[in-house]
Amino acid sequence: MSKAIEIENLSYKYPDGTVALSNITLSVEHGQALALIGPNGAGKSTLLLAMAGFIKGSGKVLIDGLQINRKNLKKIRTSLGSCLEDPDDQLFMPILFDDVAFGPLNMGLEAEQVKARVADALKTVGLANMADKAPHHLSAGQKRAAAIATILSMSPKIITLDEPDGSLDPRNRNNIIKLLADLPQTLIITTSNMDFAAAVADRVVLLDNGRIIADGPAEKIMSDSKLMTDHGLEVPAKFGK
Amino acid sequence: MHHAHIDKFAYQDSCVHRLDSRVKFIIVLIFTAVVISLPVTSPSILACYAVGPFTFLVLGRIPIRFALKHILAVSPFVLVLALSCPLYDKTPFTAAFGPFTWQTSTGWMRCFTILGKFIVTMLALIALVSTTRFNDLLTGLQRLGLPKLLIIQLGFLYRYIFILIDRAHHILRARAGRKLKNLGAKVEMKTAAAMLGSLFVRSIDTAEHINIAMQARGFDRKWRTISKLQIRSSDLLFAVTAASFLLGLHFFVRPILH
Repeated sequence: MSKAIEIENLSYKYPDGTVALSNITLSVEHGQALALIGPNGAGKSTLLLAMAGFIKGSGKVLIDGLQINRKNLKKIRTSLGSCLEDPDDQLFMPILFDDVAFGPLNMGLEAEQVKARVADALKTVGLANMADKAPHHLSAGQKRAAAIATILSMSPKIITLDEPDGSLDPRNRNNIIKLLADLPQTLIITTSNMDFAAAVADRVVLLDNGRIIADGPAEKIMSDSKLMTDHGLEVPAKFGK
Repeated sequence: MHHAHIDKFAYQDSCVHRLDSRVKFIIVLIFTAVVISLPVTSPSILACYAVGPFTFLVLGRIPIRFALKHILAVSPFVLVLALSCPLYDKTPFTAAFGPFTWQTSTGWMRCFTILGKFIVTMLALIALVSTTRFNDLLTGLQRLGLPKLLIIQLGFLYRYIFILIDRAHHILRARAGRKLKNLGAKVEMKTAAAMLGSLFVRSIDTAEHINIAMQARGFDRKWRTISKLQIRSSDLLFAVTAASFLLGLHFFVRPILH
């Protein structure tokens, strides 16, 4: 069986010449919850964009056994759902129902199937009665959950989430942690909050300056205080801060 | 930031909220055209026409104060236009209202009629947007044959206008926090241009992110939605009532008031 994600020697430079990713080699099994941690500008979000085929560097990226290229892009985006950092970018339709239905409709599903998927996705994230709400009427926590629902409705095997805990209060952050813990999909999560990473991930990849510095079980990497502080991070409370 | 959304009552439930958006839109369009075409020298008939949108607002449990507040907010432009009428048209005119008659000028009559038409048509427009969810209105317009591209643009406008306003407020606040004295018109203009530039760059950035979010969900330049609109007997009843109201005013009330 193919792996969820296989990346070999991926490098990427921004148009201005800044190296964003340098020789990244990474393999993720199905069902894993992986946190990409690192200081600001480490290349975490860029790596997520490369996984979804939005930027093309040198090297090889395979998603669920399919190499990213123009021909495979539609299939890849059906199996890998990307959730952007700002939910206001993710929720672009006038009402939540249409936003959650956007993906399934583009997959070519029938209206009844789409409605069922929207209902399921909204129920999973706890927004079952909010389908007719406009995104600007939702709270920050509800917007985060709604952004995840837009991906869940496509039933992807892999979900990438860019800073899903950003600007959330502890209660909403805990809601997102519970939500992510119940998802059966492979999760790739970037975060700058080490407590959040420790709560949601079983594996951690530490990036800095576009390179993989460390890769392993969350506890092993995140309890190494020297490694963490050397790269501008901190040991989370769960592992003895 | 919390905005005073013009459609904040559109999420209520009432008999007028449940009406089909297409029927409401067409009725408001016809009503507006009829009101605009009324003669400029008979402002009293406007009070009869105002009964229509007023009833609609009451049935939809929309506070009249809310409607009047929004009318007031957009009134300065019309006020300038209306108040300029008495200045250029001073032809004598004998106005009558019931048993009362008095001397005035055609300019003043024109002024009151313009203001009256503005208030009545705005009441109708507010009644429409306060009892119809914007998304239903867009779906209705799409079903009425408006170009899809325009509908998409309107959808994005509605979705992101509040975010843009928020950003503008944040930038203004950042400037106010550091602006300790008046810097003169030249510097102020330069600062305003820089602020607009920043807003523009951020808007482009947002547009790029939205494009990524759309492509990530399989967007292939074909806009697909599930239409939920359906004409029911209540919609037909509303259409017949509205038509009877307009025809009744035209054929029975207007001759009496003239």
